[in-house]
Amino acid sequence: MAKVQVLNVAVLDNPSPFGNPFQFEITFECMEDLAEDLEWKIIYVGSAESEEYDQILDSVLVGPVPAGRHMFVFQADAPNTGLIPESDAVGVTVVLITCTYRSQEFIRIGYYVNNEYTDPELRENPPIKPDYTQRNILASNPRVTRFHINWEGCTERMEDCENVDPSSNSMLPPSCLPGKAPPLGVLPDNSMDCL
Amino acid sequence: MKLLKPSWVSHNGKPIFSVDIHPDGTKFATGGQGEDSGKVMIWNMAPVLREEDEKNENISKMLCQMDNHLACVNCVRWSNNGLYLASGGDDKLVMVWKRAAFIGPSTVFGSSSKLANVEQWRCVTILRNHTGDVMDVAWSPRDVWLASCSVDNTIVIWNARKFPEMITTLRGHTGLVKGLTWDPVGKYIASQADDHSLKVWRTVDWQMDANITKPFSECGGTTHVLRLSWSPDGQYLVSAHAMNNSGPTAQIVERDGWKTNMDFVGHRKAVTVVKFNPKIFKKKQKNGSSPKPSCPYCCCAVGSKDRSLSVWLTSLKRPLVVIHDLFDKSIMDISWTLTGLGMLVCSMDGTVAYLDFSLDELGDPLNEEEKNSIHQNIYGKSLAITSTEAQLSTTIIENPEILKYQQERQNSAQANSGPGAAAPESSAPKLNSVMNGESLEDIRKNLLKKQVETRTADGRRRITPLCIAQLDTGDFSPALFNSVPILPSGSSMSSQLTPQLSSDSSPGQASSMGLKPTHDPMLTSPPPNNTAKPMEDNNDGVKSSLLLTSASKIEPMKALDSRFTERSKATPVTVQKEAKTKEETSSDSEDKMAAINKNLTFGKRKPELLLDGREVLEKRKKGRPRKDKMAASMAQPFTQEPSRVVAPPAPVAVLKLPTPSTQKAFSLQVSMEPSVFLEVENEVSMVAGSKLSQLRCSRDGRDWNTLLPSSVVVAAGSSDILAVACEDRMLSVFSSCGRRLLPAIQLGTPASALHCSAHYVMVLTAGATLSVWDVQKQKALVKNESLLTVLSGADTTVSQSLLTQQGVPVIGLSNGKSYCFSSSLETWTLIADKSDSLVQCADFRSCLPSHDTPVSSGPLAVMQGRNLNAGRLASRLSSTPHHLQQSMTLAFLENQLASALTLQSAQEYRYWLLIYARFLVNEGSEYRLRELCKELLGPVHKSAATSWEPTTLGLRKRELLREVLPVIGENLRFQRLFTEYQDQLELLRNK
Repeated sequence: MAKVQVLNVAVLDNPSPFGNPFQFEITFECMEDLAEDLEWKIIYVGSAESEEYDQILDSVLVGPVPAGRHMFVFQADAPNTGLIPESDAVGVTVVLITCTYRSQEFIRIGYYVNNEYTDPELRENPPIKPDYTQRNILASNPRVTRFHINWEGCTERMEDCENVDPSSNSMLPPSCLPGKAPPLGVLPDNSMDCL
Repeated sequence: MKLLKPSWVSHNGKPIFSVDIHPDGTKFATGGQGEDSGKVMIWNMAPVLREEDEKNENISKMLCQMDNHLACVNCVRWSNNGLYLASGGDDKLVMVWKRAAFIGPSTVFGSSSKLANVEQWRCVTILRNHTGDVMDVAWSPRDVWLASCSVDNTIVIWNARKFPEMITTLRGHTGLVKGLTWDPVGKYIASQADDHSLKVWRTVDWQMDANITKPFSECGGTTHVLRLSWSPDGQYLVSAHAMNNSGPTAQIVERDGWKTNMDFVGHRKAVTVVKFNPKIFKKKQKNGSSPKPSCPYCCCAVGSKDRSLSVWLTSLKRPLVVIHDLFDKSIMDISWTLTGLGMLVCSMDGTVAYLDFSLDELGDPLNEEEKNSIHQNIYGKSLAITSTEAQLSTTIIENPEILKYQQERQNSAQANSGPGAAAPESSAPKLNSVMNGESLEDIRKNLLKKQVETRTADGRRRITPLCIAQLDTGDFSPALFNSVPILPSGSSMSSQLTPQLSSDSSPGQASSMGLKPTHDPMLTSPPPNNTAKPMEDNNDGVKSSLLLTSASKIEPMKALDSRFTERSKATPVTVQKEAKTKEETSSDSEDKMAAINKNLTFGKRKPELLLDGREVLEKRKKGRPRKDKMAASMAQPFTQEPSRVVAPPAPVAVLKLPTPSTQKAFSLQVSMEPSVFLEVENEVSMVAGSKLSQLRCSRDGRDWNTLLPSSVVVAAGSSDILAVACEDRMLSVFSSCGRRLLPAIQLGTPASALHCSAHYVMVLTAGATLSVWDVQKQKALVKNESLLTVLSGADTTVSQSLLTQQGVPVIGLSNGKSYCFSSSLETWTLIADKSDSLVQCADFRSCLPSHDTPVSSGPLAVMQGRNLNAGRLASRLSSTPHHLQQSMTLAFLENQLASALTLQSAQEYRYWLLIYARFLVNEGSEYRLRELCKELLGPVHKSAATSWEPTTLGLRKRELLREVLPVIGENLRFQRLFTEYQDQLELLRNK
């Protein structure tokens, strides 16, 4: 079972102007002392059509994590508007908070985000450059997906380690810059789900 | 009989595989299938029992749900004390749950159902060992063990007092094991499997006692579970699915000879579950009729795949009641209330039924006392001892002192068990206490500013989360058992030295033990790579209109939905990044380890000496591979530059031990309190062609110095005396003020190690002989004793030596054995052996005094050191039978006592004596306990003939007895023993 349970995520500074940083106050509980840090990421979905426009706003390591209940605030800069297709700049999109342990994603929390003009006049006649929108995160309705992962070290459970495709890293095309979302279909789904 | 099907008890229509009523009857647990996982739910019993509670909106029906099992939950069982819930499932795991005290009601974050968990049950331990689905779990009487069985054909017995320790694995079944039941007096456990057998195992040695196959030979493996049950009087064991004349039955197995002559017949399909009523009944006395003695009887419920339920009384030939068509699918589990009048039944169809019986129907339940007397009549008092606490609690306390100890113990037990156990209804959040009076709100306001954020080596942000609550896992915390920190391997023993002991590792060994340059530059972090947030400019693809229609507002919603559940495709990138961080953190920790190692090795004692010695060795190594030959060259007196002297062929037979090399200068701290430093400078001045060496000592700021005609090789000191051994094999002893106390002693061979402690001097020579002198009395305690007796084997050498404050010499050998020379016995005695299997398997953790820190500074602890901890760990892994473990622990503890006695280490003797006494008390060996008390008390009346010494190692034996008695008083069974010795002690005190 999962050693880390997310108990609550409070969306701070919401609603707020588009350029404000995202702030999530995350409360989680850990059953046993973790040997390694948790990695949290905020991913902003730039366009519903394609993951190409996903922006990892920031990723932080959180640790050390002893057994107990913990909280922290994860703050990340607003998305780069230049990377968002103009057609998607206004409207509904999604922001995702993911957490990985030993490079395995075990929880994904998604929120709908609505970007719109507060000024009624702008709403009627949207300008070409979609700045000055207001970001409203639908905080009351988080969508939580949990994944089963192998929480143990590799030495403890060898059979699980075999599930982790060791070649997945080497299969990265050398041209692929780290951080850039790789094109769809090129990579094998790097699933480490150990059921 | 009343019957109710509470429709609200459901897993959303999914099958319910198991049900169990809490011992206090206020709640019950169900286990089964969840949405995409296994599910355990805890329900309030009150709405089942009373209609008004069911209708009352304010009374919550569901108390808690746990989705933590990855796959279907096959069994849920409350511990007998009601503190824990064990669940086993298809995910091969057994989870043990405990109620969390400090949390109030809350919802599961992000769950669609708005049902709050009224109670919080937290998984406190996960038991991993099975390689297949866990089918049944069972707590032993008194919650000593937890048993689990699985489709991997095994049964695992877990130590319920030290999860996740395994006691043993019972192997023998050749098919899926589907049911377990403990004998109510704890002597046996029975299991039923698909291999057409029912096996009975002894708990004393975990061997099979009986293998019953005949009634099962016709059975097919058609049932999901085979939950068998043992009658509360222990006389009968009733199996699930058995066959008699091709009809399905529940086979009755008699305890006496495991005879199989009777069965419960009538079900049309296989019996899945049998459950005995926990009460024993006797016939209800009819009003007016004369009370006639009647035999007590038991009551048993049988559930079957034919969806019907039958309830039997052992006094009747026919079932008391049979209920057909209660469910749409097979019955899976049955649970009685402790009162014996209520019963919950669950079914594969996902529903639960409650049956309520009256006393008229079942009879008068016997109370606990009557039940115990039946047990005692059948099994005798010896088995009653291993049974319930309830029995002990009925023992009359005969002594006010023992009452006091009992009460103290209960108080501390209550304090330990925490508020959750003491007041199960208190659900108020107790977070405030954790955070020094600061409210959660205050913390949240400033969290962003206050939280600690650092950068890792590669420039990534790292946040240290704020801990807002500890977990109250309490007694299961493994930290409790391993609280003695385990030193990183490679750290030398010298780190454990304290001023009261004089010891060091012999230099030749030291260089191989802890002085390797562990700080390898190759391991340090790679150059920080660009963490690369995906912020590259992406100016293409600017197109299409900005028109917002309602359709476009909805369209992305659908497209976006998938994003909530699919893992990010960006993961591979982060994997690469992660891998690097991982590498870095590991090398980080290695560096840290190395640093710690260095601190440990160099920190406490003789820093310069060790460092210098190492450098010297390194330098000389060049072009000179043979070190021992070089050591031999040291023996030559007046060697000017030892490295250039050609070594004569070394008399290997004589020089068994390595000698330290001569250095130009070195210093060492001899004692901390008062602080005494010793400085040696060899060959300082030339007088008439011969070189002199200077010995300088500073003691509390006051200096003295003296000159020696030969270079000093080793020096040592205590707060009373100083001793130096020179190249000319002369040993000189000085007082702390620099006065020469003895004329120079001529040693046969060069000194290998030299120790001072109090007013004793110990010399280990290269010729493998040992001498100890008492400088004060000017007497030899040990005279040129040869080590050849203990230096068996060609490669064995001395790795460690020390001299205790009492002048007892101790040497540790490279083969892991440690000896001390007992001058009274005039022989070598073995005090520690690292390869001793007793050490590995002894398990006395439960006897460790919780508040006392273990004596880590005594000579015994120094010699056994880390090894003892390793033994503790090993015993957690090994699955030795209990009685064997018990004997091994006993033998080990007695070894420790004897060793501490020989070493004349009073504190350690006392420490081990108390552990030993506690172990004897826990294991109930009155015989040894009595002998121990007798020895400590001695003769009450003085007589000339007695050879009893009132003290041992300076400790008054009767004082020791006074410390041991409270330990004895903790077990009511020994109250007679306690009283007896308490009285005699009082008598002696008044004399």
